[in-house]
Parts: sequence; C-alpha cells; structure tokens
Amino acid sequence: MNNFKKKEYKISDIVSTVSHQLKTPLSIIKGCLEILSSKDLGELNKKQKECLNDALENTERMNSLIKNLLNISKIEEDELEIKPELSDLKEIIKKIINNFYALSKAKNCTISFKVLNKVPLMLFDPLKIEQVVINIISNAIFYNKGEGFIEVFLEKKDNELLFSCKDNGLGVANDEKEKIFKKFYRSEKTIFLNVSGSGLGLFISKAIVEKSNGKIWFESEENKGTTFYFSLPIIKK
Amino acid sequence: MKKTKIIIIEDDRFLNKLYSDKLESSNFEVLRFLQGEDGLNNIELEKPDLILLDLILPIKSGFEILTEIKNNLETKDIPVVILSNLNQEKDIKKGMELGAISYLNKIDISINDLPNIINNILKKVKE
Repeated sequence: MNNFKKKEYKISDIVSTVSHQLKTPLSIIKGCLEILSSKDLGELNKKQKECLNDALENTERMNSLIKNLLNISKIEEDELEIKPELSDLKEIIKKIINNFYALSKAKNCTISFKVLNKVPLMLFDPLKIEQVVINIISNAIFYNKGEGFIEVFLEKKDNELLFSCKDNGLGVANDEKEKIFKKFYRSEKTIFLNVSGSGLGLFISKAIVEKSNGKIWFESEENKGTTFYFSLPIIKK
Repeated sequence: MKKTKIIIIEDDRFLNKLYSDKLESSNFEVLRFLQGEDGLNNIELEKPDLILLDLILPIKSGFEILTEIKNNLETKDIPVVILSNLNQEKDIKKGMELGAISYLNKIDISINDLPNIINNILKKVKE
C-alpha cells in the first residue's frame, strides 16, 4: 500500500495542489486588508494602521512561505525544474518592487531600482528567478534598522546579467556568514528583531540560481549593511 | 460620460465581490458572474469593454470560456484579462495563446492597483 502511494502521489504534487488551495483565501484576506489600507472605507487611526500593517506583512509572509514550500518539495525530490524562456528581468524586478510598496512603507524603508546599462532579454526561468528576487528583497526589508534604504541594481557585465541588492540594515555577523545559505538556518538577529521566517528563502534561492548556471553571493558588514548578488549567464537562444 | 463596463467571471464569491467593489468605487460599471456559462451568455448582449476571467470555474473552465469568446465574431475583440492563482508557465502560455491580453496572478497583484492596470490595458488596446 505504501509503495502504491509512493508511486501514485509525489509530495511535490500534493504540495502544489495544497498551495493553490491556500492561495485563494489568502488572496481574499490580502485584498480586504489592502482595501482597508487604501482608505476607500475611511481613515484609520494610528493603532488601527499598525494593526493593519502587521496583518499585511503576514499575508506577504504566508504568500512567500507557500511559494517556498512548493520549491523546497521539488528540491528535496531533486526535481527542481528550470524552464528557461526569453524574459525581461528588469520588468520582473519592477513588478516585485511595486508589489512590496505597502510592506516597505509599513517597515519604514524605501526601495530604489536602477538599471546601470542596457540589459538584454535573455533565457531564464522567470517564475523561479522572480522567487529569488522576492526572497532577497524581502530579507532586506525585514532586516532593516528603520529608515532603511534598499538599492537594487541590474547591469550587464561581460556575458552575465548581474543583480545586486544593497541595504543599510543589520548586516550578517562574521560567524554567521558560512551558514546563511543552509536549509532552515535563521540568523540570531531574528530573535531580537522579532522577524518571522522559515530559514528556507536563501537555501531555495541558491538552489535556483545554481541550477540556472548562475552564482549567488553576498558581502556584509555587521550593523552597516549587506549586498546580495546573483549573476546569470546571458543566453539568448 | 459613459462608464467603462467590465464583466467579472469569478466563482469565489468573496473575490468576486472584492474586485467588483473596488472597480465600482473607481467609477467602473461592473457586471459580475459566479459561473462561466452565465458570464458567457451576457458577454454578447452587454458588449463589455473588458472581461476579467478566472480559470478554475465550475462546469466550464476559464480556458473553455476564453476559447468561446475568441471564436465568436461578436466578442472576439473584447480584451480578456486572466486573473488566476494558477501560476505555472504552461497555464500562462496557454492563456496567452488562446488570446488573453494579460495574465495576472491574484495573490501577487494589489487590489488597489486593479483599476489602473485595467485602464492601462484599455489605453494600449485603443492605441
């Protein structure tokens, strides 16, 4: 019976179905909260706004968890598939930053985006790379010290497209630098910052970038900030 | 001034109401349907400026509805925006190949941006 089950149902298929089922109620909750935050239904007082921002922040967290859950189940089954298609990373980043507007405002930080030279359309998996960008930028938002500045850059460098995300947040301690791409690793800072997370985002991001023949790394100084980078080979055909 | 008319086909009653309320408060005229067949029957009659279409629907799927809209001479030019949480590349590709003008992921868009997104799509269509 167990063998039958194993053959008939892959964990990743079950996770995929459950993820989709979870997204509908989450879309409704998020939509209702956004309507409240838009003042369509009237002004809110300071405490109500704080409460609303907490709720919005956690819908984004849930959304990210669902997406990461789907990826982790594929990684665990060694079935992480990269489906390259001609895509525009610049537009993907713009969309993500726009979607993070409410959250970054609630967390008191600003995000800028600069394209440093002409970047080409190229072959990569847009949905997977989108998740990498989401994981990196959301970390920068959550680990900012208040009045944070997050600068996102995209540039063509030799035969690669280079993404970077620089923040002036809490940075990574030297003794943690080896560990942050490990599965389930969560920084000690999450405890006093009260940042919730799964410890999966960077592990998944590394798996996706490396499976796309790219590289991912970071530079960081504690209490000064961190810059995350990933590069992807420019392939057009 | 004539209001922009939108038909929403979304079987989740909460989302259906949420989208309608947002668009109505932004001065759109909205006709909303919980089932694809009901929506389809009204598209030819109402000639909306744009259709917001979910994919997982009872009886007839969004893909089937889209195919019927695009195969009907009376309705084929009406822009259809797919609004779905199905986010697999194959779904997006299929939707666009069947003639949708845009494919939006419900969980990722902000509902407050929906009126602007629709206005921008309609502006592009007119150009």
